[in-house]
Order: sequence, then C-alpha cells, then structure tokens
Amino acid sequence: MKRIAIIAIVLLAGCTQNDQDSKYLRWVGDAEFDPEMDASDFQLCGSEKLVQQYFHFGQGLQYEGEKTALCKRFKEAYRPVETAQSGWIRIRFIVNCQGQAGRYRMIGSDLDYQEQIFDERITDQLLKIAKSLDGWAVLSKDGKRRDYYQYLIFKINNGDLTDILP
Amino acid sequence: MRILLIFVLAVMSSLLAAQPNCNAYKYSGDELKYTACKAAEKRGGHYQFSRAYQEALDEALAIDSTFAYAYRVKSTAYLKSGDFITWKKLMDKAVKYDPEGELFYRASCRYQFFRDYAGAIKDIELLDSLIDYDIGYSQNGDYHLNIIKALSYKAIGKPDESLQIFERQLSDSTHNVGIYDYLHLGVLYLEMGKFTLALRALKQQALENDIAENRYYMALVYKALGDEKRYLENIKLAKEKYENGVKMFDPYVEKMDQIFLIDIIDAMKTEGF
Repeated sequence: MKRIAIIAIVLLAGCTQNDQDSKYLRWVGDAEFDPEMDASDFQLCGSEKLVQQYFHFGQGLQYEGEKTALCKRFKEAYRPVETAQSGWIRIRFIVNCQGQAGRYRMIGSDLDYQEQIFDERITDQLLKIAKSLDGWAVLSKDGKRRDYYQYLIFKINNGDLTDILP
Repeated sequence: MRILLIFVLAVMSSLLAAQPNCNAYKYSGDELKYTACKAAEKRGGHYQFSRAYQEALDEALAIDSTFAYAYRVKSTAYLKSGDFITWKKLMDKAVKYDPEGELFYRASCRYQFFRDYAGAIKDIELLDSLIDYDIGYSQNGDYHLNIIKALSYKAIGKPDESLQIFERQLSDSTHNVGIYDYLHLGVLYLEMGKFTLALRALKQQALENDIAENRYYMALVYKALGDEKRYLENIKLAKEKYENGVKMFDPYVEKMDQIFLIDIIDAMKTEGF
C-alpha cells in the first residue's frame, strides 16, 4: 500500500513538474483566474480542465436572436472614435453553464497583424458592451451543460467599428 | 455528384495536409526534415490546442526551423482561438519556407477567419504568380481560391473585378463547382441590379445545393421584379429551410451572404406588394 502511495506521489510530482516546466497551459488560449482582473463572483460550473471551445458544439456562435442581435447591440451602443487607428481587437471570455460570461481578455493588432494598443476610448467601449451582453447560449455536450470559451473580433477602421466576427 | 467529388477532394486534401509522409523527406535526402517530421508525429492523438501537441511541434521546429508544415499545424489552435497575432507570425514563417505549399492556407484563413480581404487577394495573387498549375481550393474545401479572390474583391467594393473573376472561373471547364459558388454569384448580380442573371445563378444554386439563402435571395429578386407570387413562394421556402437547418454553415465563423432567421422574418414583414 505504501509502495503504491509512493509511486502515485512520484507520478503526480512528475506531472506537476512537467506542467510547471511547460510554457503552455492546458490548451492554447486558456485564461487562468486572475484576482486583479476577474470578477470573483464569476464561477465555472465544471473543472478548469473541462472548459470547451464554442465550436466544439458544432453550432457556431450561439446567442439569443442569433448574431444579428449581438451585432445590433454593438451597432447601437458603439460611438466611432476620431483616430487613425485601424486593425483587429479580440475579446475572449468564458461563458459558464448558466450563460454568464467572465474572464475577459483582450488583444489588438494593426492591419499588418502587429500588436497594437488601441485608444482606450475604443477598447473601453467594446469591453463595456461585451460585458453587458446577456444572450449567451447554454451549451451541452454528452448531456451535460458545459463552460466554454467564446471570442468576438472587432474590425476597426479609423476608429469606426466595421465588422464583428466570428 | 460534383459536390460529392469536391467533398472527397477536400477530405483527402485535409488528410494529406494533416500528415506528411516523413519517408518522402528521407528518400529525397533531407535527413533533418525527416527527423523533424518524426518528432512532429508525436502530436498524434493529442488535441491541436493541447500542450503535448504544441510541444511536439516545438521539438520538430527545434530540429529544423525551416519545417513549414509544422508552423502551419501549430498555427491552427491560435487561428481557432482568434489569436490573429500569433497565428500570423506562425503562418508567415510557414509561407517564408514554403510559399507554394502554404499560401493557400494563409490566404483562405485571412478571408474566412479575419475578413482580411486585401490580404487574401495579395496572397492568392502571389501564389498564382509562383505556380503554373491550378492554385487550388481553400483549406476547408468550400471554395476555389479564385472564388475567394472574387468574393474579396466584392468585399472591398470592387464588384466589377469580382464579377470578372467569377465568370472566368465558373466558365472554366476544369472548375469543380463549390457548394456556394452560384449563391454568391447570384447575390453579386442582385446587388448589381442584374436581376435576370441573378435568378439564373440562384436557380443553378438550387440545383447544386438548395438552401435557405438562395431561396431568400431569389425572393428578393422576385420582389424587385414585382412578382409577388414567386416572392411569397420563395420567402416561405427560405423560412422552412432555415428552420430545418438547410442553410449555410461554418462551425467557426459567419459566412459571406449568410442570412439569419430575423432577415427572413423582416423581409416577410416588409411592405412592398
């Protein structure tokens, strides 16, 4: 029994060591909880290891009223900003099994895909609207409600919002 | 039948893309690439987003930093998670080391995932200038790259250029008709006010792949032509098809000319007859 316990501890230690040595998390793009950025009241329903990607459900983006409703929210609320900045902004987040969203992360690039920090008047608006969205679908796999990663990409042209993906 | 053929070709090409034959490198005397290729094989059975998958490719690239294929397959997880910065860096390296083999992927992903129409056109034209055989299809098999080029020209506000490319490609006897080719052509004609040609293309789409979208756009054409009976027939059929899931679909992104239920409902509400 003791021998089994020792083997288990060694194996677990080995796994932990490998995990710590790696520059990768479980999956590309995983967002670990950051108490400085993330709302403490946003909870995953399942384990971190079970968070899916939105396309794992084979239904594309799922939002109440479809993508039209989502785009309408941005179209109505976003105010163009006077700037020469153009490019892409991605906001990625987790939707939990109750349809609530959290752990928002943002990246941006210019039209040559070079990292770019956008004017806060653009990013603050987009993040605020994204956080106000309340139509995310609850998605199930194998009969169980799952947490999943979703992203929105915004195409910005001279401070104006011209497209929303995916 | 042609659609089936395209599907088979797409599956075959994706399988080929999924796994190169390492021995081919060995037989051609490229021992380094052979070793890198064998290292990349360690990702087998692991999910493309996973640590093990990414690390196997890092190992391959540490052996041979010019192994274009490894950059491309490594980039896919970043593409699907919307990380355009890392994806592009990886794909630029893939294209640098094998432009003829990798431009198709960078071009079609720029179009599909990021609506980077100017970038897609540039890549497709570059590929065309490098090879003297057919430039081939998008990475998901939905479109010939010339159709992506045509759609990209439309998206950047050049419908005449778009139409020229469409007509040239679709009249090529070697072209395998894609599942949405005639839908897009029909929509383009509709947007240009060429209603008779739009109807012809959308009817052709109905023969190839009859989905909610072509019925919806046919309804719009009939409305423009003042044919209320056919308008109603087609808009109802569009709704029926949509509700039964017979519509455009991409598991990752919204496609060009894709419609949503609200579009059909709004069209039905609109006064006009």
